[in-house]
Amino acid sequence: MSNNKKVNIFLLIIAVVLFIFLPRFLSGYMVRVITTIFMYAVIAQGMNIMSGYMGYLPFGNAMFFGIGAYVTAIGMSKGLPFLVVVPLAAITAILFSILLGLPVLRLRGHYFAIATIGMSAAILSVVQNATEITGGAMGTTLPIIDKDPSIVYNYFYLAMFGLMIITTLSLHFIIKSRFGFGIRSIKANEEAAISMGINTTYHKVVAWAISAFFTSIAGALYAYWMSFIAPDEVFDVMIAVNTIVIMLIGGAGSILGPIIGAFIIELFAEVAWSAFLEYHLAALGIIIIIIVFFVPKGVTGTIADFIKRKKIRARKKVSI
Amino acid sequence: MGENNTILKIMNLSKHFGALKAVDEVSFEVKKGEIIGLIGPNGAGKTTLTNLATGAYPKTDGKVIFKDLDISNLKPYQIARMGLTRTFQVVKPLIGMTVEENVLVGSLYGRDKRNTDMKNASKRAKEIIKLVGLENKKDSLVSDITLPDLKKMEFARVLAMEPEVVFLDEVMAGLNPTEVAEASILVKKIRLEKDLTIVYIEHIMKAVMGISDRIVVLHHGRKIVEGTPQEVVNNPAVVEAYLGKRYAKGIKEANNEE
Amino acid sequence: MGLQMLMNATLLGGLYALMGIGFSLQWGISGIINLSYGAMVMLGSYISLEFFNFFHIDPFISMIMSGAILFVIGAIIYRGLLQPFLKGGIVFTLILTFAVRLIVENIILKVWSADYRTIRLVYAGSNFQLGDVYIPLTKFLTFITAGILIYLTYLFMMNTKIGKGIQAVALDKEGAQAVGMDVEKMYMINFALGTALAGLTGSLWASIYSFSPHLLGPLVGKVFIIAILGGLGNIWGAAAGGLLLGFAETAGAGFLGSQWQEAIGMVIMVSVLLWRPYGLMGKKFFG
Repeated sequence: MSNNKKVNIFLLIIAVVLFIFLPRFLSGYMVRVITTIFMYAVIAQGMNIMSGYMGYLPFGNAMFFGIGAYVTAIGMSKGLPFLVVVPLAAITAILFSILLGLPVLRLRGHYFAIATIGMSAAILSVVQNATEITGGAMGTTLPIIDKDPSIVYNYFYLAMFGLMIITTLSLHFIIKSRFGFGIRSIKANEEAAISMGINTTYHKVVAWAISAFFTSIAGALYAYWMSFIAPDEVFDVMIAVNTIVIMLIGGAGSILGPIIGAFIIELFAEVAWSAFLEYHLAALGIIIIIIVFFVPKGVTGTIADFIKRKKIRARKKVSI
Repeated sequence: MGENNTILKIMNLSKHFGALKAVDEVSFEVKKGEIIGLIGPNGAGKTTLTNLATGAYPKTDGKVIFKDLDISNLKPYQIARMGLTRTFQVVKPLIGMTVEENVLVGSLYGRDKRNTDMKNASKRAKEIIKLVGLENKKDSLVSDITLPDLKKMEFARVLAMEPEVVFLDEVMAGLNPTEVAEASILVKKIRLEKDLTIVYIEHIMKAVMGISDRIVVLHHGRKIVEGTPQEVVNNPAVVEAYLGKRYAKGIKEANNEE
Repeated sequence: MGLQMLMNATLLGGLYALMGIGFSLQWGISGIINLSYGAMVMLGSYISLEFFNFFHIDPFISMIMSGAILFVIGAIIYRGLLQPFLKGGIVFTLILTFAVRLIVENIILKVWSADYRTIRLVYAGSNFQLGDVYIPLTKFLTFITAGILIYLTYLFMMNTKIGKGIQAVALDKEGAQAVGMDVEKMYMINFALGTALAGLTGSLWASIYSFSPHLLGPLVGKVFIIAILGGLGNIWGAAAGGLLLGFAETAGAGFLGSQWQEAIGMVIMVSVLLWRPYGLMGKKFFG
């Protein structure tokens, strides 16, 4: 292993340890904020594997968040313990992604993005109207954990953190693998990928299933954490929009991008909310435009470019 | 393999786009180890034929038999894995990846699942890159290299798939005469080393003549002539297709005088 | 379906048809999925509201202003914001049009608040009868106007130099470029035409229904459905899609209850996408 790599791993381990002990020094409010950041990072990683690495934007990916949340809520209302419903939620989400994915992933580009918006809206409508099962538009509750609040929110802090670490590591190894090359080839040039023997439909469906898996677990945790969920909250299109912005500003197609992006966006939201209360929509809109125009590759992409340019300049100096 | 060592049989292949017959009942056979030149003026149907053979277009009629198997209804990625591959007239590099990564993808997904794990595939990719002479460019992004190198890379990519038949679709397009000569030498060298069968598509006569064992000539989607380079170059129908009736008349008269 | 329901569905469908065409043209020809389309429609409504409140001008007349203003806005958005990102894949244009929606939504909220607004026309209550069927005057006028506007759009596409240019570019971009056409200008005009149609729809909408920023999202949902049903970039396809949606919503509301109205549309769209993704009318402008 190269020295560079060893240093990176060492730094990452330090960061992990820091984050694990961070809650002791923060207020309950900040702990909850950071938990939300971890959650968004997970959802953004789900988006990242599809859009950043494979070039297929699942605008409606929030549907898996909602599915995760609702399967958890319904399962627990029937008396099942949390650790049993989570796998159920994940499996449900995967099944949805395969059933819905197979027909639309055969097509390219635009249709997939729009189809996912439609699917998400359709599922939202169904959940809103199927009141006997889901509690309808008014929402539904989950069992409240009978412990001290600080224990509860610390528990979810660690759980979300763990999920974020697992998701990020998984993505890291997937992208490095043979399968990961297949995914990246689809984004690079789908026609060429097919001509090289890549079964693109298989890759697209599996990638979406992976995306659905992690996103739904985030939803499951969220539901249990909040003890109350409503359809237009967990199927909200703004979840997708925020996730896309997070992915863009962190840097799509990079492993750490979604995490960095989640921190940046949450920071901005905290600041902007108090400063721009009446204009927060326009502020977000303008931020999006600024990011797309000036930092389209996000933080990680811009840094990578910067390093590359420095290397080229250094090489030029040497050759002269 | 079938009689005469035939590895690829194109049988009455047709592709109609509405009223336009892009490929019209074309048939020919390719023997293992041959280089078949597939020529014809622009629009003759050469690339369409390639797309049909590799499964990229659905056929209107006809069959494609590869290694005695009817591959007419297989998906393109399946056909590629079986060993029937092609390069593209307008190169299609995997953008955002390096030269080595491009070739690696070919090596990972090329053939049959044998040795397609990362370690073996990486090794194979490195060897191929060395073979075509791209070693000093292997870490360059494909967006940063020249056209001749892009063509070399695409060739390397296809070789990494360990194919048996390669359709080289106008590899010479955009290259200057020096580069064309270099490319021809490379193709010949590799064909021997890797025991390849090549369908060499070109519309520049000179490039094809020196390298092909046999030539198939297409015009308006139909096969008009098939034979050795010598037979084809003096054939009035071929001359007419490329240069028009008057030149063809000249050739005919020259032939009659012999 | 009773005759009254049929009439209601048709009148609604006409308005939806006009609305859907703009979005379909933007997506099918300019290649942009315009998530701010609902906001553009609403702007048209609010413009007519102001003309009505300040100058007592009827929306059927002020719609010309709406159309013109939204045309200019569309051109500016396309040229200034979207054109640089056409090659970047769908992420950028999608999120950029969403940004536009957010900004317009904020403006509407600040200027007019989230309250539902109406234009109280003198003749709003009148209707006439055709047998057993009641036809509200405003809805009737809207239907006729929508029809005329749709036909004018068709004529524009078929008979003017620019219109034919847009079609040419839609069919074969390289070919159009080869004959010296300013392809980017065509895309821009097409896009601006789309927002103009949105604005016109908004004015007509305002003559019948109340409106508020709450409609921003659902309207986009509707035009998605219409565009997909009719095939992208296809004027008559979108018109048919609009009518179909009008029928589906009216029937859905009538038989299943009004809460299913939105859901029906979405379920239809997903079904079409899964079964016939290029729409009921097929791929391109000429089917």
